[in-house]
Amino acid sequence: MVKLILRRLGQMVLIMAVVSFVLFLVFDSDKFKKQIAVNELGGFGLQTLTEQEYQDWLSSKGLDVPFYTRYLDWVGNVLQGDFGFSFEKNTEVGPLLAERLINTGILAFWVFALMIPIALTLGVIAGMKEGSAQDRSVSFISVLTTSMPEIATAIFLTVIFALGLGWLPAKSAMTQGFDWRQLVLPVATLVLYDFGYVARMTRASMAEVMTSQYIRTAILKGIPYRRVIMRHALRNALIAPFTVIVLQLNWLLSGVVVVEVFFQYNGFGKMLLDAALFGDIYVIQAGTLAAVFVAVFSQIISDVGYTLLNPRIRFS
Amino acid sequence: MTKSDKPRLHPKVREAKELMDKGRMDRREFVRIAALLGVSAGAAYAMGGVTPSFAMQADLPFPDADDEAKSGGTLRVGMQVQKMEDPATYSWVEMSNQTRHTLEHLTFTTPDNVTQPMLAESWQANDDLTEWTFKLRPGIMWHNGDELNADDIIFNMTRWMDPDLGSSNIGLSTFASMVEEKDGKKVMIPGSLEKVDDLTVKLKLQKPVLSVPEDLYNYPTAIVHRSFKPPLSDNPIGTGPFTLTNLKVGERCELKKVTETTDGKPFKYWGGDVFLDEIHYYNFDEDNQLTAFASGDVDAIYEFGIEQFELAQALEGDIIEARTAQTLCCRMQISQKPFDDIKVRQAVVSACDNSVYRELVFQGRGDIAENTHVSPIHPEYYELPELKRDVEKSKKLLAEAGYPDGIELTIDVGNTDGPWHQTVCEIMRDQMKDAGIKLNINVMPPSKYWEVWDSTPFGATAWTHRPLGTMVLSLGYRTGVPWNETHLASKEFDEALDDAEATLDVEARREKMKKVEQIMQDAAVMVQPIWRPVFTIVSKKVVGYPPHPTQYHQFNRVWINS
Repeated sequence: MVKLILRRLGQMVLIMAVVSFVLFLVFDSDKFKKQIAVNELGGFGLQTLTEQEYQDWLSSKGLDVPFYTRYLDWVGNVLQGDFGFSFEKNTEVGPLLAERLINTGILAFWVFALMIPIALTLGVIAGMKEGSAQDRSVSFISVLTTSMPEIATAIFLTVIFALGLGWLPAKSAMTQGFDWRQLVLPVATLVLYDFGYVARMTRASMAEVMTSQYIRTAILKGIPYRRVIMRHALRNALIAPFTVIVLQLNWLLSGVVVVEVFFQYNGFGKMLLDAALFGDIYVIQAGTLAAVFVAVFSQIISDVGYTLLNPRIRFS
Repeated sequence: MTKSDKPRLHPKVREAKELMDKGRMDRREFVRIAALLGVSAGAAYAMGGVTPSFAMQADLPFPDADDEAKSGGTLRVGMQVQKMEDPATYSWVEMSNQTRHTLEHLTFTTPDNVTQPMLAESWQANDDLTEWTFKLRPGIMWHNGDELNADDIIFNMTRWMDPDLGSSNIGLSTFASMVEEKDGKKVMIPGSLEKVDDLTVKLKLQKPVLSVPEDLYNYPTAIVHRSFKPPLSDNPIGTGPFTLTNLKVGERCELKKVTETTDGKPFKYWGGDVFLDEIHYYNFDEDNQLTAFASGDVDAIYEFGIEQFELAQALEGDIIEARTAQTLCCRMQISQKPFDDIKVRQAVVSACDNSVYRELVFQGRGDIAENTHVSPIHPEYYELPELKRDVEKSKKLLAEAGYPDGIELTIDVGNTDGPWHQTVCEIMRDQMKDAGIKLNINVMPPSKYWEVWDSTPFGATAWTHRPLGTMVLSLGYRTGVPWNETHLASKEFDEALDDAEATLDVEARREKMKKVEQIMQDAAVMVQPIWRPVFTIVSKKVVGYPPHPTQYHQFNRVWINS
């Protein structure tokens, strides 16, 4: 187990090194430098510079240094906890990243807190009796909500609950400090999008377990149905959904850009999008490292959890 | 001239007054010209015999304070919150709006399109408009207790012309006339700025420029303290009524009324009563601002697009619409194939019907443009005969240019002012199809478009409002100027524009603009179909919120009726 974790962590460091190197390489092009200049000076402003003035401007931003030198400097700084400076936000990247990760963490926490119980309950109910009315209802709702893109769900919810009924704020920029009401619509959008997926996985897993011989034996032995489900079926049926749920962590970190941008929620995804559009290289780099970390870390949790839940699986 | 000295009326003011008296010059145009040439705003309106659209307070560029105005409250505005690094290198209006309440300009162009003295008390130009003397208002206090003086102005203007700074101010006619190229850099010509006394500065230009006062309200010309070092957000010393208390780029910018100087002495603002306690900008992307307003997050927004107009009408609030000279130039670069052949360009222009865009894109709002980049709201606009679409002529021209079976073209569009750019291109595509021109529309992110705006063979570039038609033609179409994206190089055009720019009599200038506009149209360098309106919305409790064709925020007299 320890070996597995160490190997995964080793892989993580390797991925981080390769990804950050490639990003530095890609963003070293003249085109990219021009992108930063355009965003800093404006298209018209840039055009007023002579070639020499442009080169001087690049130098003032430290963009005239060869990329490998910049890369090595950056790696050295990151190892000391300094993630660099944001061109766009005019602030240290480290605190910015931490703040945005916390905001997205709050969002993710509430999504998980609601989505997991709803999805597992509905999935189990549906999978207990395949083909029953409850199964069909749950499956229909799950497919419907999951097949709707997040942006469409976000618009529907906003039009109904914010603009129509006026019950909830339409945007989640938290301009007056943290307000739980502003979390409702983004959380609801993400839960609606995601629960169906997990519920369907749970249903499939549960349905498979329910057809297995040991469950049939347990039922035939006369064990109460409730006990068969709770004691015997659930544990095995939850192995597959567990993996899926843990992998949602990754999606919640960087896959919720649409929701964060739509609701103007200042989270990690919105930060990454802003940085990508601006060409804010150090923010992109730091965000990528965080995303790689979460992706690999969630895989480690998934692998370890899988092993614990299913003793038949051993990693060697 | 100053308020205290005997006024020396610029001869061109007398000339303009005579023209007005003879009925050859519009009264409002007289006010604009008189103000430009240094007559105080109140005097200019009085000489012109017109009432400003807002009541003027004597000697101040701001509207009269409302008798019912109540002090207090925070105005919350939805806008993109950007960094406030160096005002001289600002590249977006939003960052200048965050700054405009703290730093001020020498002049102020009102919503009436009249430029007034602001930090300057008055100005005076010599007869051939090559020397401009600016006299500052005495007693203007910086937030640190210092007094504004000529050193501040020289410090600022010298910075703007410092090639290592990269300020776009150097592209303005005023400052372009004070620099020369040396060793690949544009540097200030020695002696261009002269400190006459503690409150007076003289600008010496290499050629006549009429628009000096107007250039000085361009958004990167905010005046910083002589000790300024960027970033502004770390040490926001200004002369304005508010100071920056909190800036989080991409989240919020909070400004608070200044009551005492940084060393604890009472601060007196030169510009009269200011009612708001605080101004808060909250970051909302343009598409989200109206929804944020709808749900009560903000009291006003920077802008909403035409596609949101119906939603805006359904909301409780006042829609403010400004008629502008903001436009979209679907321009062809005449130095690149196939646009180096004028017949191809003429075919493109002939295939388009400019009259339909206003209705189709802006639901009948805005003004029809005529491929000249001179707007009906510009004082010197000359109305040329209406452009007629001629598909057969277009086909014939294409055949003559060697494309008897039609031609395939691609236009780059960045939607830098919103999705209406793309709509304009789509209408063009449908119209050009009839003439056998297949137009592909290459949509790209706004920042990507700004990387290629000056190099793409065919691109849709947004140009902002400028008070005079000659200003924009000078900036964008003279031979070899940095913003000449069409690469038009016409000696005849340059000379005609010189002639128009040196003519103060607006009727005579309009006559001269006929030639300028005709050359532009005949050169067929672009399809420029629309002058767009801009929209914003404010809560009903906000009083005195001013519209502005360039979306500049000046909230000196805004108050909240809570």
